[in-house]
Amino acid sequence: MSSRVSRISPRTVYVTLGYLAFTIFVIFPIIWVFMMSLKEFRDIIAYPPKFIFTPTLKNYAAILFGSETAGLTTGISDYVNFLKNSIIISGGAVLLSTIIGLPAAYSLARSSIGIKSMVAFTFLSFRFAPELAVILPLYKIYQELNLYDTFIGLILVHQLITLPLVIWIMLSFFREVPIEIEEAARVDGANVWQVLLNVAIPIVRPGIASALIIAFIFSWNNLIFGLVLAGGNTQPVTVGILQTMNFDQIKWGWMAAAAMIAAVPGMLIAIYFQRHLVRGLTMGALK
Amino acid sequence: MTELRLRHSFQHNFPYKPILMISNSKHSARSLTARLSDDKFQYYLMFLPALILLVGIMYPFITGVYISFTNEKLYLPTVEFIGFGNYVNLISDRVFQQSVVTVIKYTLLVLVIQIPLGFAVAILLDETSPLQKFFRSSVVLPLLIPPIIAGLMWKTMMQPEAGVINWALQSIGLPAFSWLSNPKTALFSIVIIDTWVFMPFAALILLAGLQSVSHEIIEASKIDGASTWQILRFVKLPWMTPYILLVMVFRVADSLKTFELIYPTTRGGPLNATRVMHVLGYEEAFRWANMGRAMAIIFMLWLISYIVSNRLVKTWEKSSEETKGEF
Repeated sequence: MSSRVSRISPRTVYVTLGYLAFTIFVIFPIIWVFMMSLKEFRDIIAYPPKFIFTPTLKNYAAILFGSETAGLTTGISDYVNFLKNSIIISGGAVLLSTIIGLPAAYSLARSSIGIKSMVAFTFLSFRFAPELAVILPLYKIYQELNLYDTFIGLILVHQLITLPLVIWIMLSFFREVPIEIEEAARVDGANVWQVLLNVAIPIVRPGIASALIIAFIFSWNNLIFGLVLAGGNTQPVTVGILQTMNFDQIKWGWMAAAAMIAAVPGMLIAIYFQRHLVRGLTMGALK
Repeated sequence: MTELRLRHSFQHNFPYKPILMISNSKHSARSLTARLSDDKFQYYLMFLPALILLVGIMYPFITGVYISFTNEKLYLPTVEFIGFGNYVNLISDRVFQQSVVTVIKYTLLVLVIQIPLGFAVAILLDETSPLQKFFRSSVVLPLLIPPIIAGLMWKTMMQPEAGVINWALQSIGLPAFSWLSNPKTALFSIVIIDTWVFMPFAALILLAGLQSVSHEIIEASKIDGASTWQILRFVKLPWMTPYILLVMVFRVADSLKTFELIYPTTRGGPLNATRVMHVLGYEEAFRWANMGRAMAIIFMLWLISYIVSNRLVKTWEKSSEETKGEF
């Protein structure tokens, strides 16, 4: 009996230690910043750090509804505007990528010849390229075309993130659709477009949903496009959040609250929607 | 002559019924060719918008390459073609050289830390336990929140005086660090943040790899008396090579162009300690309005990244074919 216990225990000890280290390194930072977002300023700067305190929603209120110290007592706060901008940009980018990317991915899956796969790989190579290689010249071009600081301009540039994702994830899903099913529809007289819309897309619908959600998250999380190509009218939340740091005194509580709100979409996905995450993260290379 | 073609039932639960097709062979041959070439056209049509968009991406990229051969400044109306002037200047520039070294150091640190750590976490997540589901869900959290938020979060925790990390270190008797504000520790501090964000990526891919090892082989090894460690070392590890390479493909490319974690934390400082190529290029453009020089930096970064990732992708493809052939 005792020998059996000692044989099992080292492994249990390792696993428990592993879980503990994991919790401290991976989970604690999120909890800590969440706690910070619920703290009064004096609790935030307290040293040693406070783990027990009276929570307050003041920071969230200040971020979302404005506060007297920021001179924003009425109306929509800047931060809500940033959120709205981010929703328009990322939502629009994903929508455009769906319209362009779904047929493109299907076309690749069904007849991958010459120029098309070259185009698909070029898209993929931009996923790995430094963003400034495209957006720095684009900064100049956008100013000439009056696209700088416009939603259309930003939605277009976000295709650099969302389109390769949609094309490559959907390509891997479309390849799994048994070709016989589509042939059957063809025999019944459907054309290629009808097969795509009525046969292929309904079969891969869960895949589409995950591709779009992952694309939305990566677009939402992006900083550099907004930093270079957005001005006061279209600033997304990732750029806007830097403003909370630029006051005379860093408002840690505000920043923490703003960070928590900006992280919400990603966290929701993490909890509800991770089935196809690996496929999305590897551009369809892994299922 | 008539030809009988029987199309049999396709999928168990699919509504299409078997179809018996009777057609004239000569006629059907011609219409089939016509139909196929029409299909081909339709498939190209489906691809056209993506193609147009790609042109829209290639145009600025090529413009950028051209700009890198000029002395363009944002505040000057005149632009001159200066050939390799920017490149020659940069190669002998100390700050530029340092930025190349810094980004290579960064990438190597990322690989050396994140692959073993990601492997360890993957093994941990592979472990059957009541907490498995909770940990598997929480591991993806850092990956899905904006990197700039991750940077800001860790910046608050790494504060030298009031930060929770230094407090924790001191309370267990270790010395405090100045983390991001010390040139000696700044780069490593950002690598820690990078590890927090992207180690889960490595862990997820490697976990997928661990789970793809065939159960029969593991069972057979167990019957042959292999220990857990031996199974890991001699059965699972060789199988993992393509997965490790896939992690490398993504982590190397993303580390070479790292920007979004450095911008909110140190912006390249202190004393150039974290001024990697991508950040240097950004500053050259928006702080010094020096477009030509900025594009030359970015284009060199692009070239490095392109060559390295191409190489890695090829190695990955080769090894993933080999592994599949093995079992």
